[in-house]
Amino acid sequence: MSDSPILSLRNTAKRFGGTVALEDLNLVIERGSIHAVVGESGAGKSTLARMLAGIVRPDGGIIEFDGKPVTIDSPQAARKLGVGVVLQHPGLFMERPVLANLFINREPLHNGLVSRHEMEARSRDLLRQLGIAIDVHAPLHDLAPGERQLVMIARALLGNPRLLILDDPNSALDQRQVERLVAVLRGLRARGMSMLYASNRLEDTLAIADQLTVIRNGRDVLSKARQDLTASEEAMIGQLRQSLFPLPLRALPTLGGALRPQISVTGLGGGTLSGVSFTARTGEIVGLAGRAGSGIRELFATLFGQRRPREGKVRFPDGDGVPRNRTEAARRNICMISGERGHGLMPDKSIAFNLANVVVGARDWGSRWYSPGLAVDRAARQIEALRIRSTPQMPAGSLSAGGQQKVIIAKWLEIGPQVVLLDEPARGIDIGSKQEIYALIRQMAASGCVVLLHSNELSELTGLCDRILAFHQGRLAGEIAGEDMDIGMLATLIASGQPTDEGLRGKRESAA
Amino acid sequence: MTGIDTAPPLAGSANHPPRRRRRLPAETGAVIALAVLVALLGWLSPSFLKPASLLSVLGQAALPGLLAIGIVFVLASRQIDISAGAVFHLAATIAALLMVAGTNPWLAALAGVAAGAGLGLINGLLVIALRLPALLVTLGTWWMIQGLSLVVGNGQTIAPPGLDGLAALSGNMFAIVPVTGIILVVLAMAMHVVLHRTRFGYRVQAVGSNPQAAAHAGIPTGNIRALTLVLMGAMAGLAGVIHIGVQGAVAPGDSGTFAPLAIAAAIIGGTPLSGGSGSVIGAAIGMLVLQTILSAMTLLGVDAIWAAFATGALIVLALAVDRLIRLWRERRTGYHRDDPLA
Repeated sequence: MSDSPILSLRNTAKRFGGTVALEDLNLVIERGSIHAVVGESGAGKSTLARMLAGIVRPDGGIIEFDGKPVTIDSPQAARKLGVGVVLQHPGLFMERPVLANLFINREPLHNGLVSRHEMEARSRDLLRQLGIAIDVHAPLHDLAPGERQLVMIARALLGNPRLLILDDPNSALDQRQVERLVAVLRGLRARGMSMLYASNRLEDTLAIADQLTVIRNGRDVLSKARQDLTASEEAMIGQLRQSLFPLPLRALPTLGGALRPQISVTGLGGGTLSGVSFTARTGEIVGLAGRAGSGIRELFATLFGQRRPREGKVRFPDGDGVPRNRTEAARRNICMISGERGHGLMPDKSIAFNLANVVVGARDWGSRWYSPGLAVDRAARQIEALRIRSTPQMPAGSLSAGGQQKVIIAKWLEIGPQVVLLDEPARGIDIGSKQEIYALIRQMAASGCVVLLHSNELSELTGLCDRILAFHQGRLAGEIAGEDMDIGMLATLIASGQPTDEGLRGKRESAA
Repeated sequence: MTGIDTAPPLAGSANHPPRRRRRLPAETGAVIALAVLVALLGWLSPSFLKPASLLSVLGQAALPGLLAIGIVFVLASRQIDISAGAVFHLAATIAALLMVAGTNPWLAALAGVAAGAGLGLINGLLVIALRLPALLVTLGTWWMIQGLSLVVGNGQTIAPPGLDGLAALSGNMFAIVPVTGIILVVLAMAMHVVLHRTRFGYRVQAVGSNPQAAAHAGIPTGNIRALTLVLMGAMAGLAGVIHIGVQGAVAPGDSGTFAPLAIAAAIIGGTPLSGGSGSVIGAAIGMLVLQTILSAMTLLGVDAIWAAFATGALIVLALAVDRLIRLWRERRTGYHRDDPLA
């Protein structure tokens, strides 16, 4: 039986209430190979991963592991079989130290007590391979999101799984971390581990996969070895990638630049920020690029009323300064859309309820009543306009990651925003939804918003923005626009704070 | 914003239209429990089914029921208030003392309600200022307020002389319907509308569902938290004042089990401890369930020594049945929270 595939799924189906997540899905993972699963958000990738992890139970179909039919009805059963999982919504313990998270439920014992020493010894090599230089005794919430994601992957690897399921493992990682991860995964494959790799980042996926399965609406529509992909098939998959960034819409060409309302920031300081000055006009998308610690987060927090500036002045299009708090910001039509999960959604409430968040929740004018009927109408309109695949009454948590993000955007669109602060608005969602969100951002600018966009994906900035401000350690390092907009140059600017020719060439090569 | 046209239609990308399902209202569990209990009790002791004795249960449910109404708002905003029973007692004591001192009974009653709201405001301000969970704040203030009503009332029963119109609260309307019961029914329906159909109610549920997201959407979360606690205090104060009207006096230990009763009633009525939603009508029905259990104890002649234990056991049973119904409902809708305590 040694040549049987490690895992094969036949006619697997799963419904959540009235929503079909998986329907007649077939999948075969060969031993010692990396099998990529590609598909839009809501196609069923996460459901597949959660099913193999024993978190959701399939409604029908056959799962064979190692040639034998099995039922994976609990996470314990999955672990017993040797299935390790890295899920999109991790079960991490933010208050507990890294070590405790790594060895959760399999703490090594020494005389009946948990042995910290052994935990350190066993995790040291793995963490080094993954390139995480962290204090393993620090609580997890002290870590950056990328580091947390790597800890999660390390936790799955420490169980020595025979089959590793990775659901979008690189959504929070930067390029360097992704490269490290890919190297580690290749090493594991060489030692005979099999992997299922579900991801939204098509390029990374194509680079690492041996086999590839495309799923759409819960069905497998194509399954092939990577090298057997024909050009037309690759083009079909590539449709996900093409026209990712829509053409700019120019709506306000007749207005003189000086007359257009603008946001102007003068000498803003506070936290890591110091002496930041810039202006942004309505109708343009201004990109903000910078690494962690560059001060962009603080800048957004200040503009959204979460932080008080230490010095400097800000003048918004409505003529006032920085809002005192988030409520005032929302009432002045300043909106902030963040890719940070859990920041924008009430998962147990209906989509209609969520869309009333700002219109009913934040504003204190208009009717004192909350009308569920009106909320449903509003939701139906936004569901139609933003192509959210659901009905107004469904809980927002039942949507895919992309759908959830659209709900968050839609609730702000409801108030007709003046200033839109976008903090990685398309992080961790599938290509299809990304495209739609990019189109929405363009539309916001065209309809007269000031749009400030921060992203760690530099191609997102160069693809969408009219000009880009580069931040380095709390200062504005430079501005590039038009022809100069180039990923390599941008990378140099945010890394060093100066545009040097030498760095430019080097970065160009690594970015290519 | 108008529609957008981006992604070209791909093979197999037809949507599965999600099917609509009828959802059971949150109060289902409590209604079933009440019906089963009444039927069972009527079978064991047919005299219980007489309208007068059924309505007397309503009368008994009224005072703790008012507290349960307040607690629904507190729970829906993902908080808890365990000082409610003590607020009830202190508000009653203050009102009674004012009446003894010769104040107009209606004015004294108003002062009692205001005292309750004021105590709620203190809770709320502590929650906002110290960023402490309401559980910890009210744990402390519960003790303080309890001690305070002992000090103010000197540890004695206070029976104000002239109650005037307030005494009408102890009477019946249409010969058998207790006035307090009517107050409960009317207030429960009104507050149910407040929770589900007003901006305030919307904000309460939003804060309870995801406080971070609520704050991020510009909802004034601090004000809402404080306001729910003020409302809770006002309801407790109102209940305290009505208590004087009904009983004609306030004795130490009068509010003994009110706070846990109110919380249990709200949960039986379909309000989750994890916040985000709530049912005021459900809480009132939940209180009827609890009072039916309590009167069953006396009606069936359960030994007084065992009555407390039996009551507790039945409450646990009611909670278990409610929980099972909820799990079943969640399986039907296919969405469940990750929170194991939800």
